[in-house]
Amino acid sequence: MIGVDVGGTFTDVVEIRDGRVSVTKVPSSQTDPAQAVVEGARRLGVEGVPVFNHASTMGLNAVITRQLPKVAFLTTDGHRDMLDRGRVWRPPDRQTDPSWRRPFGDASKPLVPRYLRRGVPERIAADGSVLMALDETEARRQLAVFGRCNVEGVAICLLNAYVNHAHEERLRELVHEVLGDVPVSISSETSPLAKEYARASTTVIDVVMKLIFDAYSHRIDDELRALGFRGELNFADCAATLLPWREALRKPSRIVFAGPAAGTIASTRLGEAIGDRNLICADVGGTSTDVSLVVDGRPFLNNTFELEHDLVINALSTEVVSVGAGGGSIVGISPSGDVTVGPGSVGSEPGPACYGRGGTLPAVTDACLLMGILAPEGFAAGQVRLDPALARRAFEGLDTPLPVDRRIAFAFRIAVANIAEEIANIAIRHGVDPRDFSLMSYGAAGGMLLPATLDLLHVRRVVIPPHPGLFSALGLLSTDRVYYDSRSAYVLLTPQSAPQIAAVYELMEQRLRARAGVGRDAEDVTLRRSFDGRLVGHSWETPFIEIPSGPITGDTVQELVERFHDVYERRYGNRFPYVPVQGVTYRVELVVRSEKVQYAAGKPERTAQVRPEGMLDLRHYADEPLQAAEYRRESLPVGARVEGPAIIREALSTTFVCPGQVAEVGTVGEISIEAATRAAGGSDRWP
Amino acid sequence: MALTSPVPAPLIRDLSDEQFARRYGCDRFSATVLANRYGYIVEHMCGRLLTAAFSPILRDFYDFAATVSGPPELDYATPAMSATILLFTGTMTDSVRNTVEEYGVENVEPGDVIIANDPYRMGTHVNDVLFVRPVFHEGRLAGFVNLKAHQLDMGGTVPGGFSAAKSSVFENGLVLSPRPLLKAGRPVRETWTLIYANVRFGELLYPDMQTICVNLDLGERLLCETLERYGAGAVHGAMEYACDRSAEHMERALDRIPDGAWEGEDVLDCDGVDDSEEYRVRVRVTKVGRRAEVDFSGTSRQARTCVNATALDAKTSVGVAFKYLLDPRTPFTSGTARPIDLILPEQTVVSALPPEGGVFVYWELNQVVLSAVLRALAQAVGPGAMGGDRGSADLHNATGLLPDGTPWVSAAQCGGEVGPYGANRHGDADSQMLSYQANGIGMAIEAIESGAPVVVMRHEIEPDTGGPGTHRGGCGVVRDSVWLQPARHFFMSFRYKHAPGFGVQGGGDGAGGGIWIWDAEPDGFPGRTPLTPEAYRRAAPVGGVLDPDTNVPSRDGAYVYVLERPFWETRPMAVLRFLTNGGGGWGDPLEREPERVKLDVRDGYVTIEGAARDYGVVVSGDPDEDPENLVVHAEATRRLRAEQRRTRSRTAPTA
Repeated sequence: MIGVDVGGTFTDVVEIRDGRVSVTKVPSSQTDPAQAVVEGARRLGVEGVPVFNHASTMGLNAVITRQLPKVAFLTTDGHRDMLDRGRVWRPPDRQTDPSWRRPFGDASKPLVPRYLRRGVPERIAADGSVLMALDETEARRQLAVFGRCNVEGVAICLLNAYVNHAHEERLRELVHEVLGDVPVSISSETSPLAKEYARASTTVIDVVMKLIFDAYSHRIDDELRALGFRGELNFADCAATLLPWREALRKPSRIVFAGPAAGTIASTRLGEAIGDRNLICADVGGTSTDVSLVVDGRPFLNNTFELEHDLVINALSTEVVSVGAGGGSIVGISPSGDVTVGPGSVGSEPGPACYGRGGTLPAVTDACLLMGILAPEGFAAGQVRLDPALARRAFEGLDTPLPVDRRIAFAFRIAVANIAEEIANIAIRHGVDPRDFSLMSYGAAGGMLLPATLDLLHVRRVVIPPHPGLFSALGLLSTDRVYYDSRSAYVLLTPQSAPQIAAVYELMEQRLRARAGVGRDAEDVTLRRSFDGRLVGHSWETPFIEIPSGPITGDTVQELVERFHDVYERRYGNRFPYVPVQGVTYRVELVVRSEKVQYAAGKPERTAQVRPEGMLDLRHYADEPLQAAEYRRESLPVGARVEGPAIIREALSTTFVCPGQVAEVGTVGEISIEAATRAAGGSDRWP
Repeated sequence: MALTSPVPAPLIRDLSDEQFARRYGCDRFSATVLANRYGYIVEHMCGRLLTAAFSPILRDFYDFAATVSGPPELDYATPAMSATILLFTGTMTDSVRNTVEEYGVENVEPGDVIIANDPYRMGTHVNDVLFVRPVFHEGRLAGFVNLKAHQLDMGGTVPGGFSAAKSSVFENGLVLSPRPLLKAGRPVRETWTLIYANVRFGELLYPDMQTICVNLDLGERLLCETLERYGAGAVHGAMEYACDRSAEHMERALDRIPDGAWEGEDVLDCDGVDDSEEYRVRVRVTKVGRRAEVDFSGTSRQARTCVNATALDAKTSVGVAFKYLLDPRTPFTSGTARPIDLILPEQTVVSALPPEGGVFVYWELNQVVLSAVLRALAQAVGPGAMGGDRGSADLHNATGLLPDGTPWVSAAQCGGEVGPYGANRHGDADSQMLSYQANGIGMAIEAIESGAPVVVMRHEIEPDTGGPGTHRGGCGVVRDSVWLQPARHFFMSFRYKHAPGFGVQGGGDGAGGGIWIWDAEPDGFPGRTPLTPEAYRRAAPVGGVLDPDTNVPSRDGAYVYVLERPFWETRPMAVLRFLTNGGGGWGDPLEREPERVKLDVRDGYVTIEGAARDYGVVVSGDPDEDPENLVVHAEATRRLRAEQRRTRSRTAPTA
């Protein structure tokens, strides 16, 4: 199995063969991203490999930087400004900020400039009836303008097309008639859900992704075949589930943001191996920390996500919240004298001051180096030498009367407190109590910062997985193939509505089975059905109410209403059984189980006593330097116990076990860190 | 008058560790962490209201606010307010203080929820009910968590309350003086029944109030955990710290602008009696050192119907104006407006007293106050000035019955709710926003049409309506709707007489908007209603400053009084059009790069005629048929601009 995670700087390639993990990192190429993927495949060898799973943030980057192909947008006459409007709202914390503009609005950087957004006379009513016929003459005229402007693709979203798709289908034919074989996405196919803006933006992104991914995927497939690959090439989507690449190209809006979700899936899989089903997953990178939740063994899914403020995509996605705190977060001083950390970051260039690449602003990494958590040698597998003198100079440059020692101490503590507050914040928002959860800590900077949050967050423990620096890529080898479809219809949930609901599901299920090529009795296939509903009077839906298996009858619908009230009560703390429930969106997921990474359990060694490689001064943590033991991770056997303060080093990461904490190596090589007070009585650990 | 600045206190950043700990009862690190935590607490108190409220105005327009506040000995200091609706920001601290003090501090117990809604005691209007939960720590009152939230109905003569025609407190709705809704965790039956005996839609108010109480529980739990972890000394110290910090932000921002005194005024068109009287808000802003004073002397008398606002609303919009121009990024606390003094005579249109006139459509006056202060401060901040937005919330409500007798409501969906902002130094303005003091989710057209018998035929910007400028104001937005059933329409647009989308730094004003109705055509569904003069001529004008012959908006036209009738009745297939005012421009339009004007022509924000008239840019080509081959004529543009500059200097008043 091979997993490839195409990032902005590096393309990470992970292979598992006979239980052994091999890894290579290839510099990503902005101009020819397929090249890095193929090079990675060549290095590890693809002959005899059954699956090659691919994730990329290429789509997201293209959108954020607006390096987009030229696409046009066709809609109902009078409504071309729906893409400028979005859902209207501003970010709440920017309400009095005169510099704020809607990022995709016409006053800023629209995805489609207004002159390429055009209306066609036609009108479908909310019930699907045709109020005005499609004016084909006018449609042809507008398409001719698109032709004159050499547009490369067309997105079509008409009002109420989620109920009646006839005009959209006809317009697609006209596009091909007038413009030839250009990619077209129509909203009733891409995302047949109510509420025009999200459907329209999804459709625009969809056609953009077709243009971005089409040649790229063909190229990768061809070149892999040329290297002798005979297995399946899969693309990961925003929920880090897989789908065959040709299937992905049918609705590529689904794969626009693959990558971050893979870490969540990797955590889920590791959680299964160590018997931990409730996880807060935190991927601490250079500029940000991505936080996600696994509840009862399943990642927390959303039915939409945003690429930037209010740029909404309708697709199943793992909820990943990005917090502006990581190793590269800038340490600063606010006007009132607070030490601040982030949200700005020094990025990878110039990087923290200690990298010696010209950076003069102190970052969290600089603080960790000065504390002794990071060593000058051996950082990033020895690729970077860290210079404490430069780090110190950067802290000296801060404009504050605080002594330098305190600046460093505060920087570390504020960074840890920020991450802890944000994690607590996300937990509370989802109604979960951190005390029931383990904190899965990965990414290059996870181990050096997250154990220190234990005492602020009250999570059960912090877990550092094996290969924390490549954990996300491992997620691509920890997941299933999933085909899904969804559609909207406002239906009051009463026993009489059972046939209508059953018909919606039947149709979707048939089509999915045909697409996946699996019959009704196929093994390794699970069908998951769910719906998004609302209390009558609400405009927001409560998503993912599960539907029991079997035929949908009047009794099933009664059951759905009960389940809705249960879920609603669990999420919002109230139950309103006297308010009728309306179904809005219906969803089917067809899960085809795939081969996954296996975590082999090792036996604890009897002599779990381990000796440190050496001792070092841990500075700026307490008032006086503390003596901390230093270990190499690879020399710690299963069952080894390490008492804090201690530093555990490995090629791509460092783990800082705080004073008052105990780390233990678990059965699959994970490091589990708990407060020593859990085992024995102790005092508060913050000095 | 003389305004002197006291000797500045040492800045917080210059305090030694000992001084800091003495003043705030904790170290700097804890104060920073706690100040952030108060922000999180109010955010969590909002979360469920945003997804679980029945009242559309709560859930879609964020018409509520959550705060944490200190105990009486801290004078109810408010270290964190939710980033929900700006219209509540100046009122929250006083709301909580007035409510608790009147109910009696000695009477509050753990588990209580105290409520009140009187605008004269606490700003905004009767539909905004305040819910206060006291928080105790080790047996002592340690603070409060609070929510103020718009309720769908509070009684009175108009369902939902949205009318500018009510003329006294007695028509306006139920007034709740401070009283317990829960006492020691148990519902107080007579309070609930008092409410349900006076309001409509009780079946929707009940779940909303339940949701609010659950959110207060959550806020209380989070504040209690914080108290247990850090102790009351640190928690209270950090509350003062958070407020001092924002006061200091504002003081330092004031310090950066020159000392001086500047005047500004703006106008509400009318009240609900007739259009004989305009309501003027006049401010004189004086700034010395780190302090400012805003004097409202000369502001019009209280209005005769419920378009009035109260002193706390005036305080809100003064604070919002200063934030926008001087300190845009930090959150609001009760310290924000500390360096700003208000002088506000009694019984003006922004300091109304009961019982006559009443207070309901208060937000329109918030907009007028904001305009007046922004206009005054524009002279102080130079290039930092902001052009005006379209000035009114332009709310429209419609009601009716389906053929089977089921009532339907379309509330704040098909008027001019979405419209432009003014431009500023950061660039052209967005055209599709709520107002400068509101924020929210614009309802999807498909959701509107699935809930009411209406078809929205057009929602598009109108070219040449944005205030011309180096940076262009947002364009006015047209919304056309066809009403499939008999409907009754209510209008609340009050900003046509004087362009509220004022330009700054040499930028032009935004164009005026209006409201029109086309009666039902005999032959069924009317399709598109054109934007041509012929079409306007056939319409019934409802509001705006319009040419009496053509009904087209015109600066020299006649004012059409929006409240001539309390509501309009239309037959099935009637068409309603709202055109919002345009937003103000920033900077001289003759300085706008001709290429940008060409792109505006290409994109339909400016016409070829408008490019020549408003920007002095000569463009040729066909933006509709061949948008990528427009041509700017450089020499002709240079000549036209030179001529326009000459004309301008001839007509400019001599200084």
